[in-house]
Amino acid sequence: MKVLVTGGSSLLGGAVARRLLARGDDVTCFQRRPSLTGAHDVLGDVRSASALLAAADGRDAVVHLAALVAPRPAWADAYAVNVVGTEHALGAAATCGRLVHVSSPSVAFDDGPAIGAGAGPARYAGSDAYSHTKALAERLVLQQSTVPTVVLRPHLVWGPGDTQLIGRIVDRARRGRLALPDHGRALVDTTYVDDAAAAVVAGLDRTGDSDEAVGRAWVVTGADPRPLAELVEGILRSAGLDPAVRSVPAPLAAVAGRLLGRMWPGDEPPLTHFAARQLSVAHWFDQRDTQRVLRWRPEVGVDEGLTRLASWYATR
Amino acid sequence: MPDTTPALPGPAAPTLSPTPEQLAAWGLDPTWSRRVSVEGSDGQPVDWHVLDSGPGPAGTVVCVHGNPSWGYVWRDLLTTLPPEWRVIAVDQTGMGWSERGRPRRLADRVTELIAFCRQEVDGPLVLAAHDWGGPVAVGASGSLDVEALILANTAVGKPDDVAVPPLIAAARSLVDLVCRRTPTFVEGTARMTGHEHRDALRAPYRTADRREAVRDFVADIPVGPGDPSFAPLQACAAVLEERPVPTLLLWGGRDPVFHDRFLADLRARAPQADVERFAHAAHLVTLDAPVGPVVARWLTEGRHRAAAAADASATADADPAGMPARPFTSVLASLGTRSRDTSAAYDGPDGTLSWADLDARSSVGACALQDAGLRPGDRVSLLVPPSCELLVAAGAVWKAGGVPVVADASAGIRQLRRLVRAAAPRFVVGTRATVGLATATRFAPGATRVVVGPVPGTRAPGTLALEPEGSDSSGLRHVHLGPEDVAAIVHTSGATGPAKAVRYTHGALAAQRDVVGPLFDMQPGDAFTTSFGPFMLLAPSLQMTCVRPDFPVDRPSALGFDELLAATDRATVTVAWLSPASARRIVSTAHGRSAPIGLVMLAGAPIPPDLVAGIRAVTGGDVRTPWGMTECLPVTDGTEPEATGPLGGNSTGRPVPGCSVLVTPLDRPSDSVPDGTWGELLVHAPWMFDGYDAAWSADADTWAVRDGCRYHRTGDVGYVHGGLVFHLGRRRHVLDTPSGPLASVAVEEPVRAAVGRPVAAVGVGPTGAQVICLVVDGPGHLAVADASLRSAVRAAVDVPVAAVLVGRLPVDRRHESKIDRTTVAADAERFLAGR
Repeated sequence: MKVLVTGGSSLLGGAVARRLLARGDDVTCFQRRPSLTGAHDVLGDVRSASALLAAADGRDAVVHLAALVAPRPAWADAYAVNVVGTEHALGAAATCGRLVHVSSPSVAFDDGPAIGAGAGPARYAGSDAYSHTKALAERLVLQQSTVPTVVLRPHLVWGPGDTQLIGRIVDRARRGRLALPDHGRALVDTTYVDDAAAAVVAGLDRTGDSDEAVGRAWVVTGADPRPLAELVEGILRSAGLDPAVRSVPAPLAAVAGRLLGRMWPGDEPPLTHFAARQLSVAHWFDQRDTQRVLRWRPEVGVDEGLTRLASWYATR
Repeated sequence: MPDTTPALPGPAAPTLSPTPEQLAAWGLDPTWSRRVSVEGSDGQPVDWHVLDSGPGPAGTVVCVHGNPSWGYVWRDLLTTLPPEWRVIAVDQTGMGWSERGRPRRLADRVTELIAFCRQEVDGPLVLAAHDWGGPVAVGASGSLDVEALILANTAVGKPDDVAVPPLIAAARSLVDLVCRRTPTFVEGTARMTGHEHRDALRAPYRTADRREAVRDFVADIPVGPGDPSFAPLQACAAVLEERPVPTLLLWGGRDPVFHDRFLADLRARAPQADVERFAHAAHLVTLDAPVGPVVARWLTEGRHRAAAAADASATADADPAGMPARPFTSVLASLGTRSRDTSAAYDGPDGTLSWADLDARSSVGACALQDAGLRPGDRVSLLVPPSCELLVAAGAVWKAGGVPVVADASAGIRQLRRLVRAAAPRFVVGTRATVGLATATRFAPGATRVVVGPVPGTRAPGTLALEPEGSDSSGLRHVHLGPEDVAAIVHTSGATGPAKAVRYTHGALAAQRDVVGPLFDMQPGDAFTTSFGPFMLLAPSLQMTCVRPDFPVDRPSALGFDELLAATDRATVTVAWLSPASARRIVSTAHGRSAPIGLVMLAGAPIPPDLVAGIRAVTGGDVRTPWGMTECLPVTDGTEPEATGPLGGNSTGRPVPGCSVLVTPLDRPSDSVPDGTWGELLVHAPWMFDGYDAAWSADADTWAVRDGCRYHRTGDVGYVHGGLVFHLGRRRHVLDTPSGPLASVAVEEPVRAAVGRPVAAVGVGPTGAQVICLVVDGPGHLAVADASLRSAVRAAVDVPVAAVLVGRLPVDRRHESKIDRTTVAADAERFLAGR
């Protein structure tokens, strides 16, 4: 199959491209800098409809992963990349026929815990521009029926080389500025990058017209939830750091996040209200339907993932 | 109508109908509201308002409200019965939205209900009634072809020993002021239920002229033979007794007017009745409790069983010679045979009691109870701590033909009160302290209070003595007890769900006695000790001496080695039944000493193997871990306690001869599991219980008919391997994971062995998608376990563990050992949800 992957330089995008290549697919990656995946790279920006259309020419399917992920992006930037970019990806997919849209479980975040939850409606419209624009983008692709689309919401993708989750945790810990709400008691699902990539590939294979997977959003996780404290401890150990982490009461974290999120002068406030809430309440999901419909199962999980992370850190 | 109040001549209040908006706001479909012209008792048509859910092929339930209410009280039936049932809730003449200005007495109302049913209903008819609608409906059922009756917090007659309800008495003396001129009575009734119902209850009775029938209804309640409705009410009661039809009694346990003694009265008049008691509902039970689903289920499945019971009770009197084929000797047979035996029947910290004294004193007590009005089958709440007096009191109740309701103090005072009230005893027998407490906290409204033992000096007013000074047993009337007669009410511990009242027959108790003796080597003349209070009642029926160790019986963990040794020094104890909490305490306080006991039974699965070994070291005798439950004891013989099975869990031995054990798939009791798999355990034995009392739904849930035999669904899970029954915990504690159900015990056992501390495995999350959380016992509130404990736990099991927590594990009160996994699961889920 000839596949166009947007966002190939990201952790998950790269893994998806490599996985498709490994099984013999013809892969083109579209992003602003080289993907280093071995795939044919087309450098460009999803904000340009024509660039994306050109890259999609002759492809059988589009896997749309490109997004602006940042703690506090400017609304205009987030909207341009995440919403308009998705509109362009949808337009490109319309010329080749099929689309996998990678979304996020945070599009359904309602400030409360998700306990064995399903994929709720993408209604988030809070202070976090990323989640808000991703919710708009998801609704955009699900409200059309011309391009068969599978929407996947991988939760907290991590692995060696991850600059988002792992990178931030390790960086904070090194600077002695890492603290968890309520000793990190919330039970949280994560997805090891290889498991997430396998799910995306499975999603691509389920984009056939009449497939049950089409036209709906599916949360994807490793189905191996752990208390946040345990995950963070494991990550710090893998990175060779002291696993002891300070604790702040969850309500205090929420208040601090609200203040810092509004007043912090730079682009990366140390905490936002959204992040504080995300870290304070449970996020784990019922994966039975996802696994059945995608005909996919995670194979790595948390413990094996941490082992791989540790050996990656050891070689650096 | 009442003579005491001047009838106010003048125009009757106009007939009103509720508006569609009102009906919608009250949760009623406006199309249900219609008006019907009914032939009145005076021959003139009377204009009724009814709520009618429309045609239904299965039949029609005509619902009759009480005073002061209207058809609204049947909202739950109207909205939740399946559409094949038509529900018509009528407003009686002068009530609700029906015509005013037409005074009616009970007999008039009966006549009009008959006329209504004949006019409006064809096909099967079920009458439902609440409060003073009860006599109207029951009276009408005598002239109608009624399939079934559903009665809710009502009475068709007053129990002889119960005074007129004080609220009714008060309302009668000031009837016009309370009921008509002011809305006091209407308001008082409305306030017995939730806010959401009050507007609907008040609406038809806003003004004095609309409340005339409310007053007349109260004034019409007969209190003596001189009252015009006295004879009609007696006629209604006669209908109930003489024409048994399938009957369902819905009962709110918090009704200050029709309290549980009225329920007991109805059950005595209609013994075939099924009872569903809602402990937390008050007088307006049909509004307070979800009665609709219960009625729906009863109409489809229960009514037929009740019909069979009604037939049986109708023919019972006709065939008094229908004696049971099974040979039957009462559990009391042992007492009479030892009336000259001066050896001890009981030996405890409060003294000893010889067999001769037990026989004589219990006869005196039985005589006193009969003199106080006890009739065979009457329930007697025993609020007596384990002591000489408990044996005397239990013996007295049985000899008098009563049914002891055995209280277990470890249930806690609130639970105890709820259970005693639900049993509706006619007598409460206790110490001065417990009787005083029961009186002060209204354990048993209307019951006669009896104090055990020698009562020196003054007694509290209104109480009797079980053994009055100078009395003898010459007047004792011997009661013939058959195997089908109810022998006792005991209660489940509530450790594994809400406590339920368990009904035993004399036949079952005799069968239990006959199997337990040989099985556990409990020989007449030997001595027996136990940490379970109610178990003490087992000793006399086995003709064994009961030796009671000195410890507070509601705290089994207070029974240590020294207390056990003191007991075994007093008598040669050959058999002991111990709870795991006592056993653990005994082992930990023995310090190398020993107390020889031939056989120790550790009851309360699961029993870990190290406890078995510890007790064996202390007693030097045989140790067994039999499995059983309040509903059926014993099920297995407890042999081979240390045997291991392929699916984990604890061996409870082989099924006792005569008892059969089935393994069925979870929630499918009519199927069987393949060999080598676990499932829910079903048991059948001649000595099992008769049913749950006053809990029709729970009772219907628990029985499964297999091979023409009634099996009790134990709610326990396990499997059979090599003839041994292995116990894997409770059904409700099964972990419902995406990869299938896991038994909690099978997950816990290896972890407990690895970490050396008590452990609970609980499922967190929605059913079917649960993840496994292991909580290791430790001090304080829940916390995430440290890395070394986490890896030790995960290394011990081959299932994915989402979280390992440390915190104090709550245990039940009766055994002080069963981990309350339901609470643990809720706590763990809350903890892991964050905040």
